[in-house]
Amino acid sequence: MTGYVARRLLTAIPVLFGVTLITFLLMHFTAGNYVPGLQLDPNLKPSDVARIRANLGLDRPLVVQYLDWIGIGALFKAVGLAGALGGSRNIDPGILEGNFGRSLIDGGPVLASVLERLPNTLELTATAIVVGLALAIPVGVVSAVRRGGRLDQFLTVASVAGFAVPQFWLGLLLILLFSVEFHAWGLPWLPSSGAVSPLGGGGLLDRLQHLAMPAAVLAFFYLSAWSRFVRSSMIETLSQDYVRTARAKGMSERRTVYVHALRNAVAPLVTLVGLELPGLVSGALVVEVVFGWPGIGLLAFQRALQYDYTTVMGITTFAAVLVVLGNLLADVLYAAIDPRVRYS
Amino acid sequence: MIDSERLARGAVIAAPAARAGRGFWRESWEELRSNRAGMGAAIVLCLLVAIALAAPAISGLVTHYGPTQQDLAHAFASPGRRHWLGTDELGRDTLTRLVYGARVSLGVGFLTVAIALTVGAAVGLLAGYYVGTLDDVLMRVVDVVLSVPPVFLYILMSILFRPNAITLAVIIASIGWAGLARLVRSEVLSLRTRDFIVATRSLGASDARLILHHVLPNALPVMIVAASLSLGQVVLIEAALDFLGLGIQAPTPSWGDMLSNAQVYFVHSVWLVVLPGCLIFLTVLAANVLGNAIRDAFDPRLRRA
Repeated sequence: MTGYVARRLLTAIPVLFGVTLITFLLMHFTAGNYVPGLQLDPNLKPSDVARIRANLGLDRPLVVQYLDWIGIGALFKAVGLAGALGGSRNIDPGILEGNFGRSLIDGGPVLASVLERLPNTLELTATAIVVGLALAIPVGVVSAVRRGGRLDQFLTVASVAGFAVPQFWLGLLLILLFSVEFHAWGLPWLPSSGAVSPLGGGGLLDRLQHLAMPAAVLAFFYLSAWSRFVRSSMIETLSQDYVRTARAKGMSERRTVYVHALRNAVAPLVTLVGLELPGLVSGALVVEVVFGWPGIGLLAFQRALQYDYTTVMGITTFAAVLVVLGNLLADVLYAAIDPRVRYS
Repeated sequence: MIDSERLARGAVIAAPAARAGRGFWRESWEELRSNRAGMGAAIVLCLLVAIALAAPAISGLVTHYGPTQQDLAHAFASPGRRHWLGTDELGRDTLTRLVYGARVSLGVGFLTVAIALTVGAAVGLLAGYYVGTLDDVLMRVVDVVLSVPPVFLYILMSILFRPNAITLAVIIASIGWAGLARLVRSEVLSLRTRDFIVATRSLGASDARLILHHVLPNALPVMIVAASLSLGQVVLIEAALDFLGLGIQAPTPSWGDMLSNAQVYFVHSVWLVVLPGCLIFLTVLAANVLGNAIRDAFDPRLRRA
């Protein structure tokens, strides 16, 4: 098991390097020659702009900028080659040391602003995943047990439809109904944006009111996807020999389905949920934008529009690390649950 | 050539090669035709395509408004005689704009799938056929592409390119190919050791001939299924990018952009929120249902006896 984990970690390293390279190149070609606000300021002479760019280290060769950003710069400095990297800079990145650099918009450390937003995003996505799972398992099991029946047909149609609904549209419809119309009808209404009320907010009820709609949109999506999976997995499990044996020896249908089959049918779901772990950070971007939810997705979106490329590179790399770790975790968890994987 | 599809799936009868090959496609087609939901979805998609193609005609002959023509005196009109489906904040005719929006959604959708499938199939065929260094390199690239959360890449590239319909398709396909490549590769990996490939190679067939005439045709069902299942996803992604203001630029009407406008004005007109979303939903639903039907048709295990 340890060897398996180690091997997976080793193969993850080149992938992570590739991710930083892609992100860096994309960001460079998008905004590499642009420092937010500078070009628009009429008081700045071209020489000033050049000086500021030099201060930021943007005049150096691309390769040097990249190596410095991922933090090989520290290595250079350690062996006394700092001069090769070119002068002093305000941005002093080094991802390998956990330093994602400073924002070009507010000058604050990128990692700090990411970590500041992280709890909001986790609150939203974790709620959605838990609610989605809690509904998907019973829905999938009921569909499988009554395969081909009215209820199963209805749930199948509902989930195929649920899969086709654009999340941002569903969000708008919820806002339209629960914020706009409920307000107009004089009913208790839900706030349409933010994570807490600006004045006197922050209490549990206030947070839940803000959380309800965005979490519902995400949970609905997870429900559509996972209930299908539970259904087909359950159907397959129910056709296994040991289920037939259990029935043949007179075990009650309830015990057969809910104790023996369910455990095995739900096990592969761990992989799917593990694959959603990166979604904890990035999956909610569109929903965060619709509901003005102050999470990482909204931060990335706003900063990308402002060409704050250090922040966007930081978030993207952060999220990519989570993808790789999420995949790894899913595999390891699956191996832990299903001995057949471990011993093969 | 022995029809590998049937062999692979443990069909009992090994019919003479050429006839069995054609038989597989004909059987799948018959199966698809008998799938009512699938055929319904196909008809809906065809209708949407027809509407998209006929957009200028509809605008000229039916609605009598252009997609960007303003009628400020009748802004936020409800559906009625003058504007069948109402108007937006500038008095632009909603029906006309919806019809033109279909061009964007479906055009970008089909183009994206075509590009992603071409690139993905090429990479998958090469990687799967020439196992070894080439395979390793290509698959690491695939790993990298699949490791960056796509939303971020779409956003970055959209800001970089300020896309029109074609660049938007290229942007979405630049990530979509990776999953297809992985899928095609694993199919090719299992094909290349089959007896009929080994036999053909021992007869002296070149690599190019083997790939194009023997591996590709047998990997085709997998590609078709994956491509048809991805169409709905692509339409959703495209609409989301338009909604975020990163897709097709205004004033070109697109469903996502109409929704993003409606977000500001939906207090004035509910229709502006409901209608474009319904069309996105309908398109994606039809694409997904058809995709599922095609998958079922190609999978003999699911066939009724």
